[in-house]
Amino acid sequence: MAEHAIVVENLVKRYGDFEAVRGISFRVKRGEIFAFLGPNGAGKTTTVHVLTTLLKPTSGKAVVAGHDVVDEPMEVRKRIGIVFQDPSLDRELTAYENMYIHGRIYGLKGSELKEKIEHLLKFVELWEFKDKPVKTFSGGMQRRLEIARSLLHEPEVLFLDEPTIGLDPQTRAHIWDYIRAMKEEHNMTIFLTTHYMDEAEQLADRIAIIDHGKIIAEGTAEELKKLVGNDVVYLKLDAPEELKCLRAEFIRGCKILADGRVALEVENAAEALPRLFELVAEKGIKILEVTYHRPTLNDVFLHLTGREIRDEGAENPMAAFVRMRMRR
Amino acid sequence: MEALTTMAYRQLKRFARAKSRVAGMIINPLLWLVFFGMGWSKVFDNSMARTVFGGVDYLTFLAPGIFAMTVFNQSFVAGVSVIWDKQFGFLKEVLVAPASRKESILGRIIGDSLVTLTQGAIILALTFPLAENLKPSGFIPALGVGFLLAMAFSGFGVSLALRMESMEGFQMIMMVLMLPLTFLSGAIYPIDTMPDWMKALAYVNPLTYAVDGARHFLVGASVAKFSLGVDLGVLTVLAAVLVGLAMAEFERATIG
Ligand SMILES: Nc1ncnc2c1ncn2[C@@H]1O[C@H](COP(=O)(O)OP(=O)(O)O)[C@@H](O)[C@H]1O
Ligand SMILES: [Mg+2]
Repeated sequence: MAEHAIVVENLVKRYGDFEAVRGISFRVKRGEIFAFLGPNGAGKTTTVHVLTTLLKPTSGKAVVAGHDVVDEPMEVRKRIGIVFQDPSLDRELTAYENMYIHGRIYGLKGSELKEKIEHLLKFVELWEFKDKPVKTFSGGMQRRLEIARSLLHEPEVLFLDEPTIGLDPQTRAHIWDYIRAMKEEHNMTIFLTTHYMDEAEQLADRIAIIDHGKIIAEGTAEELKKLVGNDVVYLKLDAPEELKCLRAEFIRGCKILADGRVALEVENAAEALPRLFELVAEKGIKILEVTYHRPTLNDVFLHLTGREIRDEGAENPMAAFVRMRMRR
Repeated sequence: MEALTTMAYRQLKRFARAKSRVAGMIINPLLWLVFFGMGWSKVFDNSMARTVFGGVDYLTFLAPGIFAMTVFNQSFVAGVSVIWDKQFGFLKEVLVAPASRKESILGRIIGDSLVTLTQGAIILALTFPLAENLKPSGFIPALGVGFLLAMAFSGFGVSLALRMESMEGFQMIMMVLMLPLTFLSGAIYPIDTMPDWMKALAYVNPLTYAVDGARHFLVGASVAKFSLGVDLGVLTVLAAVLVGLAMAEFERATIG
């Protein structure tokens, strides 16, 4: 067995004139959880669909579980499982029937299939609902069923496209537990996409940050945060936009956030703060609010693109803020 | 074979789940039979009219037509189910599976054709007490004709659905096709008395051969227009071609 479960080289996918994936390369090791982190429209789903043989790449090469996705799609399909971003269950049928049909299509049958269905429905805690039609399930239950279904044929590589999108925080944490258990129990390779930073950070061994169809950084969460520096100071200033970005030799980077606050990258916040106060006083600017914390993946994205990754309340920014402050 | 039987099983299972829909589906042909058929049957209750309808009463003439019409209309459900699966995402689940796509889609078409045929059989059974001269021995063979018709139009519906994004577009095409093909099939009046230009259209209408084939079995050769061989031949070739096209289309399918 090769060392890598996924090898992608210079992958390009165009829809008409629009280039959704613009020449990406990366490798995922066996047994690793690898996350694609990026905002909506970054090209995550497109990449997943190419890797799972549902879309033909425009150019480039992708090898999944040892087989080329273009030359041997059938061999790839045998070895992968996928939870699509959008629901893909048969809503008219029951949870059990959905599992059963999937198993049969993948060539399982008889008592082996029955045992596996029972085991997996118990694993995702849906066994007691096995005879209920899927259309009566909550979003979280449907997601769990899809996860169970994707594991039925014991794939070598599992693709999870935004596995917790639109779910409440409790359900999300619950699904993370399943994902961790899957990796530990089956040593499965998992390719995960998400636009939630906390999800990437919680689950992934390595993260690739993707934006506008390009990978702009790759590494462990720790490695990525080192790109930013040690600390980030957030200031709320009573100053016109053009004066907000303060300049001094101890300020390594400065970005203005969507909410008007300023994020300053510094080596050591404790030492930088007094100097900052002086600087601000010199310029006659008033500080309304100050906080600082270690960089998050959001800061990394901000650092790399000048934009923030979070949207539509993936997590409440203020809540995250408060949590960070309390931890210090 | 796994994919074929599993997909056929799924279509049947879905049908069994949706019992209320089933009732709704057979109401329409029943209305035709009762109100249209019984309404006109007294008007045509004279020897001259009987001659026009091949020597039988009007309801007997009409019954095979209603049966074929039911199967024809319901066949498009196969297409509708493909569009639903597109919209609800189940299609991706099939496309990403390591099973023969040709088999999967053939299984679906067979499953949907069996569903369609069940509804046709219910309608046909209900026509027997109303029409005087239907042959009970023709029931099963007529279902065979219905199955060929169902396969042909399910195949057509699937090919069409694979190219369409919305339910609305698909339903538009169905509406546009359904009534003209029904009128031009000899189901409600004989082809022989049609104006020549209409006759020409009736000859190229596949439904014509299903109606005629069903008449062979349910009423007798004397009321049929073509030979049984022509009817069955046309339907078989048509079903093979349309199902074959659907299979080729599905083999190439990607997601949008
Ligand atoms: N079928 C398609 N046709 C045209 N453009 C598409 C299609 N699918 C996706 N796109 C575009 O490609 C880009 C990447 O989309 P996607 O891969 O879904 O991103 P993500 O999953 O990261 O949100 C987006 O700008 C999207 O609008
Ligand atoms: Mg996506």
